[in-house]
Amino acid sequence: MPDWKTDVRKHVRTLRLPPQRELEIIEELTLHLEGRFQDLLSDGYNRDEAYRLATSELLESGVLIRDLQKIESKVVREPVEPGTPGSSNLIADTWQDVRYGMRALRHSPGFTLLAVLLLAIGIGANSAIFGIVNSVLLRPLPYHAADGIMTLWQNNVKAGVARNDVSPANFLDWKQQSRSFELMAGIEPFGFSMIGTGEPEQFRAWLVTAGFFEIMGSQALYGRTFTADEYQPGNNQVVVISYNLWQKRFGGDKNLLNQKLTLNGRPFTVVGIMPADFQFPPDRDIWAPRIIRDSDFQLRGPTYWNVVARLKPDVTQAQAQNELNGIAARLATQYPDTNGEMGVTVESLSELLTGKIKSALLLFLGAVGLVLLIACANVGNLLLMRGTARQREFAIRCALGASRVRVIRQLLIESFLLAFLSGGVGLVMASLALRLILYFNTAKIPRLDQVGIDFAVLVFTIVVATLTAIVFGLIPALEFSRPNLQAITQDGERGAVGPVRRRLRDALVVVEVAVAIVLLTGAGLLVRSFMNLLRVDPGFQKEHVLALQVFLPRGFKAEQATAFFDQSLEKIQQLPGVQAAAVVASPPFIDLETDVPFTVEGQTPPPKGNEPSAFYSEVSAGYLDAMGIPLRAGRFVSNDDRTPSAPVIVINETMARRYFPNQNPIGRQLNLILENQVKVEIVGVVGDVLHSGLDTQPRPELFASYRQSPSTQMTFVVKTGPESEVMVNQIKAAIRTVNPNQTFARVAPMEQLVADSLRQRRFNLFLLVSFALVALGLAAVGIYGSINYSTQLRTREIGVRMALGAQAIDILRMIVLQGLTITFAGIIIGVVTAIMLTRLMSGLLFGVSANDPVTLVAISLLILLIALIASYVPAWRATKLDPLIALRYE
Amino acid sequence: MLILALVEDRPRHGYEIAKLIDQRSLGVLQFNVASLYPMLYRLEKRGFITGRWIEKRGERRRRFYKLTPAGKKILSAQRQAWKEFFAALDRVAGINPA
Repeated sequence: MPDWKTDVRKHVRTLRLPPQRELEIIEELTLHLEGRFQDLLSDGYNRDEAYRLATSELLESGVLIRDLQKIESKVVREPVEPGTPGSSNLIADTWQDVRYGMRALRHSPGFTLLAVLLLAIGIGANSAIFGIVNSVLLRPLPYHAADGIMTLWQNNVKAGVARNDVSPANFLDWKQQSRSFELMAGIEPFGFSMIGTGEPEQFRAWLVTAGFFEIMGSQALYGRTFTADEYQPGNNQVVVISYNLWQKRFGGDKNLLNQKLTLNGRPFTVVGIMPADFQFPPDRDIWAPRIIRDSDFQLRGPTYWNVVARLKPDVTQAQAQNELNGIAARLATQYPDTNGEMGVTVESLSELLTGKIKSALLLFLGAVGLVLLIACANVGNLLLMRGTARQREFAIRCALGASRVRVIRQLLIESFLLAFLSGGVGLVMASLALRLILYFNTAKIPRLDQVGIDFAVLVFTIVVATLTAIVFGLIPALEFSRPNLQAITQDGERGAVGPVRRRLRDALVVVEVAVAIVLLTGAGLLVRSFMNLLRVDPGFQKEHVLALQVFLPRGFKAEQATAFFDQSLEKIQQLPGVQAAAVVASPPFIDLETDVPFTVEGQTPPPKGNEPSAFYSEVSAGYLDAMGIPLRAGRFVSNDDRTPSAPVIVINETMARRYFPNQNPIGRQLNLILENQVKVEIVGVVGDVLHSGLDTQPRPELFASYRQSPSTQMTFVVKTGPESEVMVNQIKAAIRTVNPNQTFARVAPMEQLVADSLRQRRFNLFLLVSFALVALGLAAVGIYGSINYSTQLRTREIGVRMALGAQAIDILRMIVLQGLTITFAGIIIGVVTAIMLTRLMSGLLFGVSANDPVTLVAISLLILLIALIASYVPAWRATKLDPLIALRYE
Repeated sequence: MLILALVEDRPRHGYEIAKLIDQRSLGVLQFNVASLYPMLYRLEKRGFITGRWIEKRGERRRRFYKLTPAGKKILSAQRQAWKEFFAALDRVAGINPA
């Protein structure tokens, strides 16, 4: 007799049963096999055969072990009875829903991919723009307790000037008389030329009075800022430099500390290097102490200082403004000549740094919100279509006792899964988009370089994804959780599509079209504004004109300056390829404006202090030729207009129109209120030139010969042939033959200076047009998807129609009309909304009304065209149907 | 149902049940050790049959299974259902299982 017990035990042991139960099973099975073995022997099998047979029955394809495992290891589950609510466990159920949802998404990869892509575009755009808003507007400034830092400006409400620079004497009075501030400091723009090894260099610098670094709450990264002593005469040959300059010019060499630099011919010790994020006031790399001199108390007229101050902890901005209003009023009575119309503007530093960009950024935030809305509508529609196909599944679940809440939850969880998946993809897209935007950061938006995907952006994305899931998931969830037992018995999808659901789908497409219209209109208006600006004639020829700005060292006497410019111009004009050359104190599109008050001889002068002012610039004789500005009457200044011959002046057309209406201004005299009053004779009238932007109006302008009153800050303007770019170095070299150490503050083609003035607009345009195109694409996908789907549902109907004799053209018309009807509804809603919303962006427009009919009509036609194409494709496909196949459909 | 029917009138042990099924179905239905015991245990767990070790004189102890009241109910319900099914088949196709 074989040892059955051992054989059986070998197999049963793998089940790891309780010992008692294991023994029982082994015993029972052993008895069975013994009986079987004996019976086989008595049936005439020999021992070996009987053993083999019985063993093979025991091991039959593993059935025994597998079945025993099922039965013995667990409590046998009761079969679920339909209709009874099972015990529910929120977490377990939710987890089950999540797994079920993931499976459902995996099973329809096409749907999942499309939905994730659409949502990721929407969410990604939002994350990217939020990233910008966060780093530019929301993140605190990199200065200690930055909320308390104020900037102070002179204003002239009557003249519409909200922020003007401050004169040293007014600053000193504010500082002395006000009690609202802990500290107040003046900042004066300054230039240093450094002569060392290599090419002489020009640096833009700030001279700051005592307290500046304390107000900003900033410490040096290496070394220190200035001590109180260093604001005293004799100790002030020290500078602090920016991180940027330290890295770029000095290669980040720490040995630079306490070394001497030769600036403007004098030795200055570098005492500190500021951290990388210290960029105030912006765009300049060197800070040096500004000593208060006795003469500063007399300088009340000329305004060229910036002022920063730190509020006392218990004082608000409004209180400080109040106090300064009182001080300004006292100063106005005390110094009516200079301060008669002068007020004070208190503006916080953060407002100052971000004010201009704020409205544009908020506009973008709105725009990407709309893009996301379209994406949601699209995905909502996809879910409706997919839901229809899953109708049977939901109906069966309801029939098996799933509550409505449970089905809604299941559907919402699927939406959340989609949204979070899209959020992840969206974040990747956002970081790519940000890199792209940074690359195109033509607007020089402050602090944009610090943008990135950080924690705040992450949280924002999660919130947006959650909201998104609710927005696009709720309607389908509510719609499909309604029990519809009919759907179980119906095989196809057609029966499940009621008019309600179709209206819902159509409504979503209408929303998409309407939102796309709004975005496209906004973008269209910006495009029109931009095109208008490009068409604006600045009053001069910007092509092939180079501008080279120079600062002469302090202490240059007038004759020296004149000689330098004369000789330099002579050398430049000798260069082959140079057609004309001149110097000008205030060239257009370089931010250097000097206003000079004047009275017209022979007209009743206005009260003192209320004289009109004009833009004043010293020029050389060739200026009109070099810039291509037309002469309208008389003559331009000539090189013979020297001191001390009778001073002459040339005015522009705006000035002639405003102050000599219907008169000939030539030969008339003006009194210029410079340091002394100077009587000048008008000898010519020239064309108007725009100075500070293509979107500005020309102002009254005066030109005087630089030989009459030379300035130490002048700009060479050189008209060349088409090869102007390559001539820069030759021109520099020509000037350096006159002064070997001459440095250049700014060198650029005029064309670029004009283009630079459009940076912010170009940036706005780039972003809004991108969003609008994305919106248009999403809307087109939406229209196509919806029409295509409803055409499929109507396959049978189309088959019947064709069988009854409808022509292809009838079918085509029917389907395309359906698409156009929805689109048309969207267009009407969109245009009305656009008219209401675009008013908000009127500040960003130029030469075009916010309700520009051309834009609205063009955009509407564009959408109609897209809708036509989007519905034509499915319609065309429908006409190719074989009626027989169509009838058999389902 | 087959197993329940076989233990209806008196308790039987596993090998006996297997042999009876084989014999009474004339070899058409066969249960071997691998398929029989899991089924027996399952029926026992559900409470339709119950097994007891019984020693008879001169033999080793064996486990005998007998029908429980719950098993009786199920058996009669199943018998009824099958009867109706065959009656229906008979009416339709002229099959007489008897």
